[in-house]
Amino acid sequence: MGNMLSKEEVDNLATLARLELSEAEKESLQKDISNILEYVGQVSAISIDGDATPTVPANQPHNVLRDDTPREANETMAGKEAQVKEAFPKREGEYNVVRKIIQKDE
Amino acid sequence: MAKLNELSITEAAAKMRAGEITAVDLARACLAEIEAKNKELNIFLEVFDDVIAQAEAADTRRKAGESHDLLGIPLAIKDNILIEGRKVSAASKMLENYVATYDATVIKKLKEAGAVFIGRTNMDEFAMGGSTENSAYGATKNPVDPTRVPGGSSGGSAAAVAAHMALGSLGTDTGGSIREPAAFCGLVGFKPTYGAVSRSGLIAMGSSLDQAGPLTHTVADAELLFNVIKGKDTLDSTTIKIGQGPTLTQGSSRSDLKLKKRIGVPRDLLKEGVEPDVLAAFEKSLESLQAKGFEIVDVSLPSAPLALSVYYVIMPAEVSSNLARFDGVRYGLSLKGNNLFDDYAKSRAAGFGPEVRRRIMLGTYVLSAGYYDAYYGKALAAREMLTKEFADVLAIVDAIAVPTTPCPAIKIGEKSDPLSMYLLDIFTVTANITGNPAISIPMGTVERPARLNDSHSGGEGKQLPVGIQLTAAHGAEDILFTIGKELQ
Repeated sequence: MGNMLSKEEVDNLATLARLELSEAEKESLQKDISNILEYVGQVSAISIDGDATPTVPANQPHNVLRDDTPREANETMAGKEAQVKEAFPKREGEYNVVRKIIQKDE
Repeated sequence: MAKLNELSITEAAAKMRAGEITAVDLARACLAEIEAKNKELNIFLEVFDDVIAQAEAADTRRKAGESHDLLGIPLAIKDNILIEGRKVSAASKMLENYVATYDATVIKKLKEAGAVFIGRTNMDEFAMGGSTENSAYGATKNPVDPTRVPGGSSGGSAAAVAAHMALGSLGTDTGGSIREPAAFCGLVGFKPTYGAVSRSGLIAMGSSLDQAGPLTHTVADAELLFNVIKGKDTLDSTTIKIGQGPTLTQGSSRSDLKLKKRIGVPRDLLKEGVEPDVLAAFEKSLESLQAKGFEIVDVSLPSAPLALSVYYVIMPAEVSSNLARFDGVRYGLSLKGNNLFDDYAKSRAAGFGPEVRRRIMLGTYVLSAGYYDAYYGKALAAREMLTKEFADVLAIVDAIAVPTTPCPAIKIGEKSDPLSMYLLDIFTVTANITGNPAISIPMGTVERPARLNDSHSGGEGKQLPVGIQLTAAHGAEDILFTIGKELQ
C-alpha cells in the first residue's frame, strides 16, 4: 500500500480533533485511516480546469436571505429556558458552571 | 383480514375514515407486536409511555371533524430527529440523557397531521454506518432473519416497519441510510431531493448531504409521508419548494406528469461487485418495467466510479465540523480532566464510539493544511462533475436504475474492516453527492444459506429481500412515485 500515516500524524490529528485516544486505538486508526485514504485518494487524480474550484455544492448555488421582518427577541427560546438549563452538565442555580479558562502560571 | 398493525398507511387511513377502526386500535396492535418481539430484535431505544394517549387525542380530533390521512397513524422515529420534551440520543453515549428542547420541522408537520409517535428507533451512532451495529445500545436484528443486520444507519426505523411495530417510519439518509435498510428489510425507502425536506431539528451528520425521508411498505405510503414533511422552511435556508405533488385522496399520480418512458441503466457500473442473483433480480425488475412500456437504455456516468471516494472525503469533513459542537460544556457527556483541553478530549473520547471517532479523525485529516486541496478540494470538483453528468443523463431518461445494494443483508459481525463496510454504500452515496431524489423499491428476494460458511445446508436457505434504486432529476419526486407504483 501507499503512504502509511505516521504515529506523529495520528497524535496531531487526535489533538486537533480533541480526542483522547489509547495507544491501541491510535495504532488501529493509523492502519484504518491509511487504508481509507489510499482508497479515496483516487479523487486527487482528477484534473480541475483552471480556477474552477467550486466552493459551494453545485445544487445550492445561491445565497438565501430571509425577509427583514421584526420578531420578538429570543423568540425561538421562549419558554425553553428551563429545558436548556436542565441539560447543563453542571449547574449552580441559574448558571452553567464551566471551567476557569484563564489560570495562574505556576 | 390482516392484523391491524400489518396494514399499509393507506389501508389504515381508509379504515379509520370509514369508522371501522380507531387510532387506539392501531396503536394497541403495534404495541402488542413490540411487546412480543422488541426484546429480541432491539429495534426501539424507547417506546413512548403516552402512545395510547396520543392515539386517543387523534381519535378525538377525528370526531371533531379532522380527516388527514396521517391522523392516528402510528409512526416510528429515528433517534436523531428531535421531538420536544423527549429524549434523543443519536444512539450515542454522548447524548444518553439529552432531552430535545424543540420539535424538528418534520415532527411539527407530522403532529399537525395527527400522526402518533410510537417511539425512537435504534440507529448507527450519529447515523454513521450501514448496519446499525455501531449503536452504543447494541445492534438491531433484521426481522426477516435475526442473524442478519437490518442495514443502517436507519436500521431501527426499517426494522420497526418490517416487523409491523409501526405502519411507517422516518429515517435520515446521508449516504444511503434510508434506502439501504429499506432494501435489506424489504421496504420502500425514499431520499428526497436535497432541500425538499427541512433539516431543522435533525442531529446533523453531513449537512450538505443529509435528508429525512420515509420508510414504508408501499410507494403510495412513502409519497403520502413525503407530501406531509416536505416544504420550504425559514429554519433551514437550504430548503426549496417542490411542486405540489398528488395527495393520497386524489388517488394515483399527477395527471400532467409527462414521462419519457425511458429508464437509464449504467451497465458499466454493474460489471463487477454485484452478486449474480442480485443482478438477476434487477434484470427481472427491468423486464417488468419494459412490459409496462418503458424503454431500457444504456447510459454512461463516467465519474460515477469516483462517487464512493468523493463521499468518504466530503462526509467525514462535514462530520468532523458538525461534531465539534459536542464538547461537554453546554449539554451531553461531560468529564473532567486536568485542564480545559483534557475536559474536551476526555468527554469526546468517552462519548463517541469507535466509528464516530474514526470519521472525525479522517475528516480532520482531509481538512488539514497541506491535504485540503488534494482531498477536499478535488472531491468538491468531482462532486460538480458528477452532478452535471447526472443532469445530462436525466435530460434523456426519466430515471436511472441500479440495484440499491450489491448484496442482501449481511450477517451480524460479518464485516469488521471499515472499508469493506463502506463498499455497501457504493450505489447509494451518489444521490446524496448530487442532491437528486432516489427511491429503493423491493425487487424480490435472493436465497442465502441460513448459516455463514454453509453453502449446502440442504435447501434450508433464507429468502432475503433486495431493492432496485431509481434516481430522478432534482425535484422530480413525482416521477419516482409514478414509476415506483408500476414496479410494486
